[in-house]
Amino acid sequence: MEVLRLPLSASQKGRLISAGYTSIASLSSISPSQLALELKISETEVLEILKIVSDGSRLESPGSSCTIVHGSQNAWDMLQEEKTLVRITTSCADLDDILGGGISCKEVTEIGGVPGIGKTQLGIQLAVNVQIPSDYGGLGGKAIYIDTEGSFMVERALQIAEACSADMVEYSCLYRKGSQACEVKRQPKDFLENIFYFRVCSYTEQIALVNYLEKFITEHKDVKVVIVDSVTFHFRQDFDDMALRTRLLSGMALKLMKLARKFSVAVVLLNQVTTKYSDGSFHLALALGDSWSHASTNRIILHWNGNERYAYIDKSPSLKSASAPYSVTAKGIRNSASNNKRIKHT
Amino acid sequence: MGALKSLKQEYAIIDSIFLQFCASHGIFSVEDFLVHDVYMLVASTEQLANSDRLKQGINQILSIIETYHQPWMNGLVLLEDREQNKHCLSTGCESFDMLLQGGLHEGHVTELVGPSSSGKTQVCFQFASNVAMKLGGVVFLDSGNSFSPTRMQQIVTHISGSAENKINGILQQAMRNIECHAVFDVYALLNVLHQQKLKLKSQTGYQVRLIIVDSISSLIAPILGGSNAHGHALMVSVGYLLKELADRHNIAVVVTNHMVGGEGGTLKPALGESWKNIPHVRLQLSQDHARNVYAVQILRHPYMASGRNANFMIP
Repeated sequence: MEVLRLPLSASQKGRLISAGYTSIASLSSISPSQLALELKISETEVLEILKIVSDGSRLESPGSSCTIVHGSQNAWDMLQEEKTLVRITTSCADLDDILGGGISCKEVTEIGGVPGIGKTQLGIQLAVNVQIPSDYGGLGGKAIYIDTEGSFMVERALQIAEACSADMVEYSCLYRKGSQACEVKRQPKDFLENIFYFRVCSYTEQIALVNYLEKFITEHKDVKVVIVDSVTFHFRQDFDDMALRTRLLSGMALKLMKLARKFSVAVVLLNQVTTKYSDGSFHLALALGDSWSHASTNRIILHWNGNERYAYIDKSPSLKSASAPYSVTAKGIRNSASNNKRIKHT
Repeated sequence: MGALKSLKQEYAIIDSIFLQFCASHGIFSVEDFLVHDVYMLVASTEQLANSDRLKQGINQILSIIETYHQPWMNGLVLLEDREQNKHCLSTGCESFDMLLQGGLHEGHVTELVGPSSSGKTQVCFQFASNVAMKLGGVVFLDSGNSFSPTRMQQIVTHISGSAENKINGILQQAMRNIECHAVFDVYALLNVLHQQKLKLKSQTGYQVRLIIVDSISSLIAPILGGSNAHGHALMVSVGYLLKELADRHNIAVVVTNHMVGGEGGTLKPALGESWKNIPHVRLQLSQDHARNVYAVQILRHPYMASGRNANFMIP
């Protein structure tokens, strides 16, 4: 039943099958008006169906002689490509170390923690750091910040941008003594110009925005990071139908994954925590349940350890499980100021 | 196969009179024909004038249908096929090989179930590296952007056991054997699997030994449940397509699944009861954080008792 394989709605598939069109080949020779009469639907709908069918049959043509199927790559090419990817620094050297250099593009990273640990601060820091020009080791891209809780403060972003600008001036003074020394290339206001801010107030708006992002990023090709703060807020309260919530969340997760891969952007999801009871003890786990664990490539949990803030890598296909301390200062996220800056590898 | 009208061009016996006769019995497509009782149909032609022609038409359709079903096999043929064609793929991890009595069987669909961060993707990387290095082509279908070439490189280096600078040739060969597709919805998955099927049929040099889908539950979760049942239909058709690829082309298939909450707070595999019977082998992975070892337990196997378990480490 090849018609089942096509991305059509259930009622359209039902009509096609009951009229006897079960294979793609049988639809190739019929005219749209005749099909419209038989299926008793409008001709525009028939044209849409035929377009999807022709896309499907185009993929089926065994035209490629090499072993690479349409849309795939072999691992060797991917390895070579990966070596050239630049990561987004978090401005904290320890954190960058355990992340293998920073937040990587083409992946979805989920960061969760208790309230007040610095998630929004980290989000704003990443939105500023992605704009560091490439001669300073950054990506030189723009950022999309999706705010669901209303916790984005423009004054704080300006403060972090000023600190970043000052850091860049210091860097150029130290390392590039010469004609370009100490030149201030980026004003803090330029940083704010390159952050696209969206405020969503309900879960439908959130899903609509994720659907719209693909078009937006096609138009603004230099967007390199999408930060959602926080992705759980609208899904945690007032949801009666849990099955619907799972479906919506997994659909949204797949769309974000596709966005990350297709446009080579880093997607950062900030999440809240909840307590779980297992093996006789309570421990912190990220909200939205086990089924959400597939939504992200990497998961980082931020927690308190005594008086210090720690980041711990909970799940990653390529990074080792490790934790590192960091601190939130007036300048943004920086290295922890304490004396034992040991990075613990578990 | 589809509407009877489409057969009109090829077979002259199926003309408009025959089609009218079928329409009078409510038969418009080949499926309708199969559902009807053929003897009744033949009996009803007796009363009509051109009954011989109509009977010939019925026979013609029956012979067309004959060409579409699978050939009969007996137990001896199946055993020979098993011994000659369906080998065991070593997984590269001794405890896994011992647990599965040889490794991954070609022709079987193996499912790895486990909570988050229990090692499913790492185990898939391990399987892929070992098979790519020693045995043949691997197709990796990735729905979570988790395929990491650097990690694969580390694992291949670890398996080959030689120093990093000496293994460049082996590494390149092994990595070229792995094809990675990014699929983000179930229709894309069906397309890719269908393309693989066509390529395996048409190209003689193309050989795949292992297909990994990581993870199939994140692709199926958005369509399962809700008011329409075609989510279940798509899930089952994916399962059957994987089984067909495994059986016809002697490929081992590995899929990963996650766990959801069941009754009493225990975890159970996702995707529900309909999916339970599709994989041949189900393995449950878990991680013991305190000792940093991973455990694998057999949930379901065609000929081994469930409950057998083993421990393993991930390099």
